[in-house]
Amino acid sequence: MFYVLFCKECKQTVKSLVYYIYVVVFVLFITSQMSSEGSLKLQEPQPGQSYYGEAVTKDQTLIMEKTLANLMQDISRNLFATYPLGFYKGVALTAPEKEQAQEILERCTGKSLEMLEAERNRYFGQYGQPTPKDAATPLPDYKVPVREGLSYGEFEASMKEICSLVGKGSSYEKSSYENKTYVPMTYEQAKAEFDALCHQDRITNAFMRLFCDYAGIILAVLPIFVGVSRMLRDRRAKAQQVLFSKPAPAAAIILSRYLANLAMLFFPVILTAFLLQQPYLYKAQTLGVRGDALAFFKVCCLWLLPEIMTVLALSFLLTELTDTILAVFVQVAWGIGSLFGAETLVGSFGLHLVTRWNTLGQSTLYAALEKDLWRNKSYYVLLAVLCVALTVAVYDKKRGRGGSILWKNMQN
Amino acid sequence: MAISIEIQHLTKYYGKKQALSDVSLSIPQGMFGLLGPNGAGKTTLMKILTTLSKKSGGEVAVCQIPIENSRQIRNITGYLPQDFSMYANMSAYEALDYLAVLSGMDRAERKRKVPLMLEKVNLSEKQKTKVRSMSGGMKRRLGIAQAIIHDPRVIIVDEPTAGLDPEERVRFRNLLCEIAKDRIVLLSTHIVGDIEATCENIAVLKQGRICFQGKVADLLSLAEGKVYAAQIAAAELEKAKQNYTVTGILTTGGTANIKIIAEKQPFPQAKQTLPDVEDAYMYLMHKA
Amino acid sequence: MEKYAKLTAGFIKRQYYPHLLLVLLFVTASGGFVSFKGLSETQASKVMEMYAAFTGILLFTPLFMPEQDGQIWDLERSKATPMWKLYLPRFLLAFLVFVLVLSAFLGFMVKGGGSFDAFSLFWGACCEILFLGSIGFCASAVTNQAVIGYMLSVIYYAANIGGGKYFGNFALFQMMRGEYGTWPYWILGATALFTLGVAVRERMALR
Repeated sequence: MFYVLFCKECKQTVKSLVYYIYVVVFVLFITSQMSSEGSLKLQEPQPGQSYYGEAVTKDQTLIMEKTLANLMQDISRNLFATYPLGFYKGVALTAPEKEQAQEILERCTGKSLEMLEAERNRYFGQYGQPTPKDAATPLPDYKVPVREGLSYGEFEASMKEICSLVGKGSSYEKSSYENKTYVPMTYEQAKAEFDALCHQDRITNAFMRLFCDYAGIILAVLPIFVGVSRMLRDRRAKAQQVLFSKPAPAAAIILSRYLANLAMLFFPVILTAFLLQQPYLYKAQTLGVRGDALAFFKVCCLWLLPEIMTVLALSFLLTELTDTILAVFVQVAWGIGSLFGAETLVGSFGLHLVTRWNTLGQSTLYAALEKDLWRNKSYYVLLAVLCVALTVAVYDKKRGRGGSILWKNMQN
Repeated sequence: MAISIEIQHLTKYYGKKQALSDVSLSIPQGMFGLLGPNGAGKTTLMKILTTLSKKSGGEVAVCQIPIENSRQIRNITGYLPQDFSMYANMSAYEALDYLAVLSGMDRAERKRKVPLMLEKVNLSEKQKTKVRSMSGGMKRRLGIAQAIIHDPRVIIVDEPTAGLDPEERVRFRNLLCEIAKDRIVLLSTHIVGDIEATCENIAVLKQGRICFQGKVADLLSLAEGKVYAAQIAAAELEKAKQNYTVTGILTTGGTANIKIIAEKQPFPQAKQTLPDVEDAYMYLMHKA
Repeated sequence: MEKYAKLTAGFIKRQYYPHLLLVLLFVTASGGFVSFKGLSETQASKVMEMYAAFTGILLFTPLFMPEQDGQIWDLERSKATPMWKLYLPRFLLAFLVFVLVLSAFLGFMVKGGGSFDAFSLFWGACCEILFLGSIGFCASAVTNQAVIGYMLSVIYYAANIGGGKYFGNFALFQMMRGEYGTWPYWILGATALFTLGVAVRERMALR
């Protein structure tokens, strides 16, 4: 019975308008994002290049210098980006608060804001660039030298003060500046990265991570609508009562629906991934690397499948429980919040629904963080399983009552 | 296994409101009619029998299976709800096939029975028609096909003829009678004509209680000697309606032929007449 | 007049009130998500365009909820009253709440003492958010599924975050970039989509 239900459900999904919108939007989104990625130009770094890209640093002096450069820019524009509840919240300080922040900056650098601003303008001027007035961060190699004798401990204490001024979730929190300070790479670093990209990731794995970065954004939201519309269909079609009266077990009904929808959601993802991977397989060949032909499948299963599972399962649960479109509001807020709440665009997986890797490569960093990613994804797989189990329970309960378990039933 | 439904002291509450109160019924094989006004508790009773609603008290057994064993009960019952429908984008064949899967039928069985059932309910030629473009009558017929496809021993049909045209109604009633040959068909309705034409055994529900149970003939005999016919001036019609339970009016010119239910002769020109099921039902409803 | 007031009250009571409550929650909780203190022009338009924008989706998409029930829809079609007369009061109700909500956001920002032109921000935001709302309105009118209305308007919002360039003058988030001149396109788009939505319903009613 299960297999037949599964097939019938797939057929139902194919017939629904929401599913077509899902496929079209997904494909348009992912191809437009990936085509603007010039990563096919991938080349082995040569000695003597002026720029080799950037990497996270753990060097305390560099961390201090870069963070203070950031702080100077933020005070200068009086806009601090914070993510207190996952959502982006731009904080502007009041005049006395700003003054306090300036004092902290001065204490750490030994220079006044005006002096620092003048230095910055000179710095950018020499590159023939205008001051990056609205840019979110200064250029990667722009640093502010620290006051002589400033210890890392003092720096940490000062940043704590800044945090108390701008509120939670800013880039002045220890966890943030210690993991997200980027500095330009040297030739040796760049070469090592390139080698890791070729041999550890065999190129296609790295490419698929970038694919999953973009796909993960839109997949935090799109499956909600497919799930909600499926679970509302019984009610809309007035088929609830007759379906309830059948002997098929609730688990068979819900699981077949869930797995069918999951398969139908995942299919276009995996197909697009397979097609977009092909140029990179070829590229790998030209670089003398045997690309991993199955990367599209392996990486998508790890990065995207748990996310789709969770989003779909939660939309099933909330819709079955409330018989409303509540899931749309809750989950869109969650998806957008998770996206805006990312501490960095590469790594920092934590328990974020949307896991980011907005770069081609950084293979050594990935190798170090892979365990975190597995933890994140296992958590979401468990969450999805829990949601599906609860949906089964809710369905069974509703069946015994002939309708909603939250609202009052019609009496006759 | 004997085919019967035994209900003893069944009660059902929705919050504080009592929907069924101490209902005891024994339903034998054949067509059984459940009559009662809207809101009397018919649908509640049917939902309990189809395990879509839990009883608050009492005992219910369908073919000796206690109602608590919902899975087993669902296996031996077929249910046609009041406003049956299916996914709009499914064809008649697909919808029936889908519901047959949920009834646990395997592929070979479905292949054999789905066309058979469609033929039985006269939908063979419309098997590709989508549910969205079906008329009320077609949906009902599809509904009855899904209720009987797994060969249940009990079929529960809620208000099956509401909204059907007279011809469809007759056809539908005949279909039910045919099905009832070797099982129970429990039919709820507030349309007395349906019962009169099809059921031998009936029960009448009123405000959650059984106020009559027996054969149609017994119901008729209840009202015997209590139905009067009279010819009155059309102008007096309003007064008559206020004072008596009038079950029929035929106005011709200035005079009106009326049918009245009363314990004793209401006025001298009223003559006793034979009751029909509708009169008997009205008598029951208006008895204190 | 009294008839329409009654119909609209019924609409609120049966379908719309959860959405109104959600909007209320959205406004009262805003302080936790965005800051209203001393905003610059860019920051103020960001609050309007990226946060307050959801008001449009929340208010204008569910206006056809009652008709998702085929029986209600058939009943309405059978009446002599043209559809637009039924929808106009609902629209006006949503519009009124919409203006109130935007005024509240503007009020918060003005009270927070920012440096922006309140009038052009308010006007621009009204046009832009109406436009976003009209997408949900039109989509749910045409498909008779509120879910699709939400889906398309949310997708339009999300697509504009990274892909505004594909939408030309109809792109969202223009004021954040200091561009205050595209409001005529927004209001034009909104008018077109609202009208189209109702016109399609009229056609469907006659079918």
